[in-house]
Amino acid sequence: MVSENIEEYLECIWELTQDNAPARTTDIAKHMNVAPASVTEMLQKLHASGFITYEKYKGALLTEDGMEIGAHIKRKHRLLERFLFDVLGLEKSKVHEEACRLEHMLSDESEKRISEMMNHPTHCPDGDPIPKMDELRGSDESTVLLSTLDEGTEAVITHLSCRDPQKIRRIIAMGFVPERRITVEERLPMNGPLLVQVGDCRVALAKEYADMVYVNPVHKIKRFM
Amino acid sequence: MELFLIGNPNVGKSVVFNRLTGIGTISSNYPGTTVEYLRAEVVMKGKRINVTDLPGIYSLTPGTEDQLVAAKLLSGARPDCILVVADATRLEPSLVLTFQLIELGFPVLMALNMMDAARKRGDLDVEALSKKLGVPIVPTVATTGEGIGELMDAIIGYQYVPSEFRVRYDSHIEAYMQVMKQGIGDSQLKYSPRGASIKLLEGDEQFTSGFPKDMPDQVKRLRGEFRAEHAEDLEVHITRDRYGEAGKMITEVLRPNPQQRTPKQRLSDLTMRPLTGLPILGLVMVGVFATIIFVGAWLEATLLGLWADVSGSFFTDMSHAIGGEVGFAIANGLDLSIQSILAIVIPYILLFYLILGVLEDSGYLPRVVVLLDRIMHKIGLHGQAVIPMLVGVGCNVPAILATRMIESRREKLILATIIVMAVPCSAQMAVIIGTIGRYGGIIYVMVILLILLGLILVLGRLLHKVLKFEPSSLMMEIPDLTVPSAKNVGKKTWMRVKEFFVIAFPILLVGSIALEVLSAYGVLETLVDPLSFFTVGLLGLPAIIIIALIFGLLRKEMSFQLLVVLFGTADLASVMTLDQLFVFALVMATFMPCLSALTVMIREYGLKDSLKVTFASMALAFTLGGVANLVLSVI
Repeated sequence: MVSENIEEYLECIWELTQDNAPARTTDIAKHMNVAPASVTEMLQKLHASGFITYEKYKGALLTEDGMEIGAHIKRKHRLLERFLFDVLGLEKSKVHEEACRLEHMLSDESEKRISEMMNHPTHCPDGDPIPKMDELRGSDESTVLLSTLDEGTEAVITHLSCRDPQKIRRIIAMGFVPERRITVEERLPMNGPLLVQVGDCRVALAKEYADMVYVNPVHKIKRFM
Repeated sequence: MELFLIGNPNVGKSVVFNRLTGIGTISSNYPGTTVEYLRAEVVMKGKRINVTDLPGIYSLTPGTEDQLVAAKLLSGARPDCILVVADATRLEPSLVLTFQLIELGFPVLMALNMMDAARKRGDLDVEALSKKLGVPIVPTVATTGEGIGELMDAIIGYQYVPSEFRVRYDSHIEAYMQVMKQGIGDSQLKYSPRGASIKLLEGDEQFTSGFPKDMPDQVKRLRGEFRAEHAEDLEVHITRDRYGEAGKMITEVLRPNPQQRTPKQRLSDLTMRPLTGLPILGLVMVGVFATIIFVGAWLEATLLGLWADVSGSFFTDMSHAIGGEVGFAIANGLDLSIQSILAIVIPYILLFYLILGVLEDSGYLPRVVVLLDRIMHKIGLHGQAVIPMLVGVGCNVPAILATRMIESRREKLILATIIVMAVPCSAQMAVIIGTIGRYGGIIYVMVILLILLGLILVLGRLLHKVLKFEPSSLMMEIPDLTVPSAKNVGKKTWMRVKEFFVIAFPILLVGSIALEVLSAYGVLETLVDPLSFFTVGLLGLPAIIIIALIFGLLRKEMSFQLLVVLFGTADLASVMTLDQLFVFALVMATFMPCLSALTVMIREYGLKDSLKVTFASMALAFTLGGVANLVLSVI
């Protein structure tokens, strides 16, 4: 467990880095209503514990660990706002502060029940999106290049990245499109082609093409057959 | 009635075409066998039908040239029926292609091929699939002929009923199509508005005739907007929706049986894993060459022996019967022409094609492609180039055509140059084995093959350096290994060697007789003398060899066959030294492309590049010959 204070910081940085730009010390200070000097001190501490990457003059970005905590607290916060406002009928001006206090106490199970009870709301009363549970879980096994997968790994294609439209055409025509399952059967040495199974087809794919495909590895689940 | 055959690569389209038309086309177990379209006019149960077999494609918006041939043909024509040949064992890509055809409003009929293998995999509800697609489906097993009768009935009785089926695209894409619908207004389109719109959204302008002029620009804007908002190209999203639809459809019609790795699949894995695959590849290669050299030599000796027994004194009698110099010329010409068929075409060329046929149909070649991909990259090519090169060991003509499946023109040209200059075709192999191999032994053959291998590497490296670009990369479907059908291999081999009998033999016969007559009257010597500085001086060969070289332009094997005629004996060792035979074989191995190869090359690559390659290979051949002559005379 991390302290309430750290959770607050990570939540704040999560919000400020939604545009993918680093959160600056001054913004964090303003947002949290504390002195810039103490923010700098805290950021260095968070950096040392691996929750953020912090560079002077540039600001802070969340690591995957930091992201998970920050987003999770934000989820609890916005879910609570929704609950306080919709179910308990609290005034809108009061829900933020109340949620700020409760978010650190709320257990994961209660969070799940509240979300279910309200049919999984997507936005808080102010209209900001509530981070989704599966996105949170996805964040700790972020997408990787197909070309980096080990033999025998199964994965789901998430997206393709290539500037050459001709190559995109070729690779999508062969069935390499997001959401399809793909298994790496064989990797040939010396950066040779990968042998992959997509659907019922087996395709030999040069590394250049495998470098265009981003995937989410599927954790092996024991199946009873 | 115009009938088009279309389908993914390697689904058995060529076999279906053969079954429907009774015409021989070559089918193999690797993607890209048909790189050119084929047309045939047949009368099916009293109805005249023009059948066109298109190269295999995965999408109507493809990225390679051979596939573009198909897409272009399709967008240029208005067939009465499009027969989609689908592989029942891997339905998804077939369905995705079918969706696109249905969308554009083409009259589609589906042959669900390879049903025998599909039945082992699970229960496929063909009727339900047909209902969902709104398209008639006939299950077939083209290799055995199962379902072909029903397919013919379905073609003859085909009535186009527009399908109700729609792929459900992302709501954003559907909204775009609504916008486009308003833009189209009352314009008369050649294709269904929905299908044509989606094609334009994919960035494909082949099916958009009839759209208002500003539509492509407007759609370009939409494509940019989609990319900005979804961080994904529109065509990727469209294809993804199609695959999603196909996957869903399959789960609804297919109940799969639990699958186990069969011993065949395990063997198939072994051929691909580098640790086991490379030794297997080495064994296969050595096996192929050893078979051709040893079995070929044995066949040659046996056949010639049989021929001598059978013909007996027939030709001497014939010569006397006709009488005079002419009688001798005719009888001898005929005898030697038949002998050369028995000595060259059957033992070496036919044998090679039989082996190639087995390799092709077993599905082994794509494995070679995968294993050799990295090595081929070193000479500026990718693994897929292995197939045209192997086909080139048979004949350069289909090999040059097969270069089409490579994407970039640069690579294609490198490949074609290597094939023409350094890959010996079966006729050249016959010359090498039949001359120096026969009299000098296998060591000489190995030396020539090593020189050629070195040439391939040097040429590749050189061209790679001169034509600067990175080789494009491999992407190829790998079929399962199967036991080849003797019938298909036999048929294919016959189609490939047929021309040696029906085209080459008459030319050879006439040529032989003419040469016999000329030499009988002593004219030949005076004709070849002026060029003796070249043949005798540079190459150290008898002056008369120039005739063989000239005929070698027509057909490579003829240079060897005419050697026999020119010297009037089948025992070449009695008229040429081993050194001379070696130089001759080496020159022939690298000599310029024969006429048919040249014609095909000009068609594929234009006159300029083809002439460059021709002159380069001639220069190379004579330089090699000259150097070999020099070196051998010094030793």
